[in-house]
Amino acid sequence: MIKNYFKIAWRNLWKNKAYSLINIGGLTAGIAVALLIGLWVSYQYSYDKFLPNYGQSYQVRRNFNSNGDTLTFSTTSLKLADALRNGYPEIEYVAEADENRAHGLAVGDTKLSLDGIQAGSDFLKIFRFPFLQGNANGLRDPYSIIITESTAKALFGNKDAMNQLIKVDNKDNLKVTGIIKDIPSNSSLQFNYIIPFSYFEIADPGVKEARNQSFGSNGFVLYAKLKDGIKYKQIAPKIKNLEKYEDNLNAKNSDVIMQPIQDWHLYNTYTNGKALGGFINYVRTFSIIGILVLVIACINFVNLTTARSEKRAREVGIRKAIGSKRKQLIVQFLTESILITFIALFFALLLVQLVLPSFRLLTGNSITIPFNRFYFWLIVTGAAFATAILAGSRPAFYLSSFNPVQVLKGTLKTASGAIFSRKALVVIQFSCSIALIISTVIIYQQIQYAKNRPTGYTLNRLVTTITNSDLRRNMDALKNDLLQSGAVSSLTTASSPATGVWWHSDVENFPGKNTGETVEMGTILVSADYFKTLGMQLKAGHDFVNDIKADSNSVILNEAAVKRLRLKEPLGQYITKFGRRMTIIGVVKDALMDSPFQSADPTMFFFDGGSNIIYRLSPNINTHQAIDKIAAIFNKYSPAYQYTYHFVDEDYNKKFNLEVLVGKLAGIFAGLAIFISCLGLFGLAAYVAEQRTKEIGVRKVLGATVTQVWILLSKDFIVLVIVSCIIASPIALYFLQNWLYKYAYRISIGPEVFVLSAIAAIIITLATISFQAIKAAIANPVKSLRSE
Amino acid sequence: MLSLQHISKYYQAGGNKNYVINDISLDVDEGEFVSIMGPSGSGKSTLLNIIGMLDEPSEGYHYFVNEAVHQLKEKKRAALYKQYIGFVFQAYHLIDELTVYENIETPLIYQDVKGSERKAMVADMLDRFQIVGKKDLFPAQLSGGQQQLVGIARALIAKPKLILADEPTGNLNSKQGEEIMELFSKLNKEDGVTIIQVTHSEKNAEYGSRIINLLDGRIESSRKF
Repeated sequence: MIKNYFKIAWRNLWKNKAYSLINIGGLTAGIAVALLIGLWVSYQYSYDKFLPNYGQSYQVRRNFNSNGDTLTFSTTSLKLADALRNGYPEIEYVAEADENRAHGLAVGDTKLSLDGIQAGSDFLKIFRFPFLQGNANGLRDPYSIIITESTAKALFGNKDAMNQLIKVDNKDNLKVTGIIKDIPSNSSLQFNYIIPFSYFEIADPGVKEARNQSFGSNGFVLYAKLKDGIKYKQIAPKIKNLEKYEDNLNAKNSDVIMQPIQDWHLYNTYTNGKALGGFINYVRTFSIIGILVLVIACINFVNLTTARSEKRAREVGIRKAIGSKRKQLIVQFLTESILITFIALFFALLLVQLVLPSFRLLTGNSITIPFNRFYFWLIVTGAAFATAILAGSRPAFYLSSFNPVQVLKGTLKTASGAIFSRKALVVIQFSCSIALIISTVIIYQQIQYAKNRPTGYTLNRLVTTITNSDLRRNMDALKNDLLQSGAVSSLTTASSPATGVWWHSDVENFPGKNTGETVEMGTILVSADYFKTLGMQLKAGHDFVNDIKADSNSVILNEAAVKRLRLKEPLGQYITKFGRRMTIIGVVKDALMDSPFQSADPTMFFFDGGSNIIYRLSPNINTHQAIDKIAAIFNKYSPAYQYTYHFVDEDYNKKFNLEVLVGKLAGIFAGLAIFISCLGLFGLAAYVAEQRTKEIGVRKVLGATVTQVWILLSKDFIVLVIVSCIIASPIALYFLQNWLYKYAYRISIGPEVFVLSAIAAIIITLATISFQAIKAAIANPVKSLRSE
Repeated sequence: MLSLQHISKYYQAGGNKNYVINDISLDVDEGEFVSIMGPSGSGKSTLLNIIGMLDEPSEGYHYFVNEAVHQLKEKKRAALYKQYIGFVFQAYHLIDELTVYENIETPLIYQDVKGSERKAMVADMLDRFQIVGKKDLFPAQLSGGQQQLVGIARALIAKPKLILADEPTGNLNSKQGEEIMELFSKLNKEDGVTIIQVTHSEKNAEYGSRIINLLDGRIESSRKF
């Protein structure tokens, strides 16, 4: 019986090639989109799961009560590390660490600047990255280093790296005590090597000092592993108030919390002290889009199949007349939809495999199809069956319900209910597609809007290099040489790069401060020529006078900081910071150093300098030549390090990465959704034109022109598309306003987007159906009328 | 009114020409009522379609109200057709989705007649055919004879000079058929409408002023009364 079903299904496919092509093509595109999104989503969920026993690993964070608002910080103090390590038997391991950043690694003549972390000796017991050589005890000795496979290869070539020495930051030789596999791209922690934190304390006296400081001196990242069987719930209340007994404002206002590793990647945005959202919102949105596109493809199948029912009606009538039960007919029609779905699945897998390289490039993820995994096939075949049932049920039940007597007498009429539901389904398709188009347009508008926002400083030809101990020693000479060379027009150093604010700290006192009020502001230590180099403009007062003595009691605020401190006449007023009274000597215009989507960060600038060398290339020198010249000078003063640099405008553009990615994905999926919808419409238009052949013939005989027939056939579809626009617009508006809400600097959505999207949808629809409509309109009426 | 000269229509079948119409010449004057007769496949309908400009001849010259139709462009031909010709079919060919009223109105819409004027003209026609009570019914709710009445009303609404009827009574019983033929004859005599009908029935053919017999695409005989 089943064999017979398949045979008939296959013959039907083959007989109606154009129709089969539309059905399979649409489903292929739909399944491919769903598959691609499915792979992307499962990749996002796979983050960090490769680590054995990963579920017990946590990052320690602080919920800081800032005048009623809860801000969540990821920096903690070393005192907290020790307190957690020693005071709680539920916690198995604690490891302090710093952020992933560049250090100079040298072996013989090979000098590299690579990103790595410095972490406590239990770090690799918390995060059990697989070892190739050595083990997790390798961080016990301060003068050791654990490196990844690629780092070993880059430094030692094919030689065995184990127990070899690497000179770090042109200072000490650290012995390789372990080699771990390269960190997969779906790891939240990324580094090329780990230096023991104990070495960090030896190399940097500031860190050693921090070990003995209070809870308030936060500057380190903290990881912990709970003992097996211990739940976070059990320990959360015990650690929450652990800092509060200490008498300092920062500690008193901090709750200690932990975030489990499985939430790091997806729940990366804290609101009111809870990680309820973040990247997960995009993952959810795209999951929904994937399902919608698949549903759009299924609707094609439903519509085309039921629309063609008249053609199949005879077959149904005859089968029933010779004794087929309705159930058997349902199974037969479902067999057809299963066959079509699986053919589409095959092509979809092929298509996805084909576009994966581009998709990887677009998303920056290393997504592959897990062909060799049993669960993958289980899910895919399961989903394909579900799709086949979803798409095939309605046609199967509809077709099998025909009354054989009516069918065979030829008196069967398409029920008006069937026509209505067909139209409703088309409206659903187009509503989804149009909503996606509107979303794409608005996402792009928002990105463009933020990109065109005045930054408050000049990004062009601005370059950043991170200092090292050698450069720090020779800073004056370096600056001199660079300016003399003609390649650099201006140079400064600062504690944050031009595109970030690395440090936020509390203003101890300011005029009009309320009791118990805490004010955390961006804190940047700068050296001479900072504002000049960055191209920031002073609004009032004056720049630092470049005298360490005079300037050490001065502060410059940006406009946002003045506003934050509620100062009417800021110049000449005093704030207390670093335990000193600082005179406000100048106010600079706001610059977008943090997010281009948010309001400018309130920031204070102090005269000191920092680890970022920021310099602007001279306007009349070719970039390549300039970099060559500059590299030579850097190499002269720090021969042990590789010269590395970042262009500030590139760094700035990276701030748009997430939005650009979302925009591109939305655009691609919107395009595919409208394509699939149009494919269905094309089929429906062909069906309608065929069904109305006689009417068109009569109308032509009565004097209708080609244009009039074209309008007649297109009108109904256009009405559906307009209805779809009316449905899609408010829905899209609702979701997009929610999305835009998180951006302080955002566009206001005007009516143009909706009107233009509607016009675009109508034009696309017309283009799709006109082929069929015009074909029908120019056909010779004599032929259609003779057939009566 | 119209003149066909050496008109042929053939289909290429392999190397042979398969003639449907073979060298027919025919003149019809204004006010005539011509009946075309002949067995199935003799080319009656094709000839009618050629006269009605729905079909093009393979060879020959076709003049209609002093215009050389065989030389006219599609657009001009359509205009000529719209202005002068009304068609009545054996199978009525009413549009199922439209009411009686709307069916009759349709040709006027295609001729850009204004709304108010259309209303008056349709009302007039409904009145004349005594089908006012049926104006809101759909074709499926009418008998065959009533449907053909609507078909004729629709053909007449635009005041054509020439009515082409392809077996107008073919699907009707004899009483209904008689009524239709009476109507044609009245139209011909009182309103001076030229009528060319194709028919199988000798009796119906005799309503006309001339009977042309076709056989295998040629005129076998032509009688005038």
